[in-house]
Amino acid sequence: MLLSIEGVTVKFDSLIAVNNVSVNIAKGKITGLIGPNGAGKTTLVNAISGVYAPNAGKVVFDGEDITGRRGYQISKAGLARTYQVINLFEHMTVLENVLVGMHTRLKSSLTAAFFKTRAERAEEEAAREKAFELLRFVRLQDRFDNEAGSLSYGDQRRLEIIRGLASDPKMVLLDEPAAGMNPVEKDDLDAMLREIINRGVTVLMIEHDMKLMMGVADHVFVLNYGSKLAEGTPAEIQRNPDVITAYLGDD
Amino acid sequence: MADKLNLKTKSVSGPTAAILLLVALAIPPFLSAINLNYGILICCFVLLYVVAVSGLDVVFGYSGQISLGHAAYFAIGAYGSIMLHKYFGVTIVFSMLIASAVATIIGIVIAYPASRLRFHFLSLSTIAFGEIVYQLVLQSPSAVTGNSLGIFTEPISFFGFKLDTYTRFYYYGLAVMVISLILKNNLINSKTGRALIAIRENAHAADGAGINVTRHKVIAFAVSTFYCAYAGAMYAHLVRFISPDTFMFRQSVLFLTMLLFGGTGSLLGPVIGAFSVTLLNEALRVAEKYQMFIYGTLMLLVIIALPGGIYGSLKRLLNRFKRKEAR
Repeated sequence: MLLSIEGVTVKFDSLIAVNNVSVNIAKGKITGLIGPNGAGKTTLVNAISGVYAPNAGKVVFDGEDITGRRGYQISKAGLARTYQVINLFEHMTVLENVLVGMHTRLKSSLTAAFFKTRAERAEEEAAREKAFELLRFVRLQDRFDNEAGSLSYGDQRRLEIIRGLASDPKMVLLDEPAAGMNPVEKDDLDAMLREIINRGVTVLMIEHDMKLMMGVADHVFVLNYGSKLAEGTPAEIQRNPDVITAYLGDD
Repeated sequence: MADKLNLKTKSVSGPTAAILLLVALAIPPFLSAINLNYGILICCFVLLYVVAVSGLDVVFGYSGQISLGHAAYFAIGAYGSIMLHKYFGVTIVFSMLIASAVATIIGIVIAYPASRLRFHFLSLSTIAFGEIVYQLVLQSPSAVTGNSLGIFTEPISFFGFKLDTYTRFYYYGLAVMVISLILKNNLINSKTGRALIAIRENAHAADGAGINVTRHKVIAFAVSTFYCAYAGAMYAHLVRFISPDTFMFRQSVLFLTMLLFGGTGSLLGPVIGAFSVTLLNEALRVAEKYQMFIYGTLMLLVIIALPGGIYGSLKRLLNRFKRKEAR
């Protein structure tokens, strides 16, 4: 197990947004997280990635207890993420966005930065080349010098994924990566997700697009009203009567 | 082009920098020739203001935190250096560095809690800090700072070579300014510089990308306080007399005006801002009563009509020109 969520609860005052959820996420797989609006999916992801500290429960990542750690510490531990609402550095260039994503992997000290030592310059040069490589992966290399905010919606989403991958994470949390994408971009995303797995990165993905989710996920779990409703393979989930009721309502 | 990996980002091209430097080197002989010794003094002020405003740019222009109290660090550098020299006999070159280091440590201590404050609360707390330092030098115990009467000191001396003429100080100031600009440029074009800009753009996403936001805000603050304090020490040994009047709130406003007027988040913005606002100040010396009024109006004009300051506007104009040519 790369990530185990053990009995995690998140409360906002008296509202229980995530209620005692336990999930194990296998290494090298794409795990899907689905559920109706307001089921607590993003809250759960936020509790894993350090935006909120869980009120109860434990989050163990790669054998390390990361419960309640700050966002930057969790990112450093190898858990990258993207956001439901695009969260790029809009006025920085496309390339700079990727370079910021590499922050935790660059070792040069502050002193080395001030004096532009040979080692620092070499590291920056290598980082730029690697960033460029990543941009080629999503065919954004020709836009490297454009402001990130000037990209199309779908390109911004892909840039955000690449920014997450730039830190060489063990795992990425993708919060609705297909939101706002057109069908061509969605097919592209499908291929991209498989490529991410090929690179040895585990994926946990929230997604409303069932066609994409059922096609690409190895394992799916379902949240409803903050609690885990079901989990299994995509085929099992599609047949599960509880899930069908949650989505379509009770007749 | 994309495949050539020609991705170096330089703020100022080599030839431009060389021309600017030659012009700067020629200023004192030129001003002496036309018998305008006072003009050299004004240029000395410009140089040290560039250092202070560049420091402020790291914190305000790059990391996006406001400070309306940087005159306090200017004061700590100035008073610190004078007092270290006067009471402890520290050689002036070292007293300047030690005073700046002390100011930086104070800056770091202040920045830790302050970095958690939101924009307007941060600006209020920095004003309060500026006021505290002002009151301390005005009413120091047993008048160690000379209180309202001020305090005298000597010029900088490099192993007996005294910087006691405006021209000598000018070349020293020029060297300090160039070094400060190079160091700032290096910092900005590093992972730390990118982290500062990322925090300004979107602190939440910066945290998610593994950037320790508090730590980087403190770094930006520390760098800016060192720059401001060193500029303050330069001021003290140039004028050789300081009094609390120099370090009032309006000095902080002056730094911010220079920065906004010249252009934030750039290498040349602070240079343009310090130069133009100092000259304007001199030109309007007859209207000294209206100084704050003029700064206020200037700031409003810049914010409304020239976002990005003179430098930002020039750059936009140039880009538009280039695009037309490319067509």
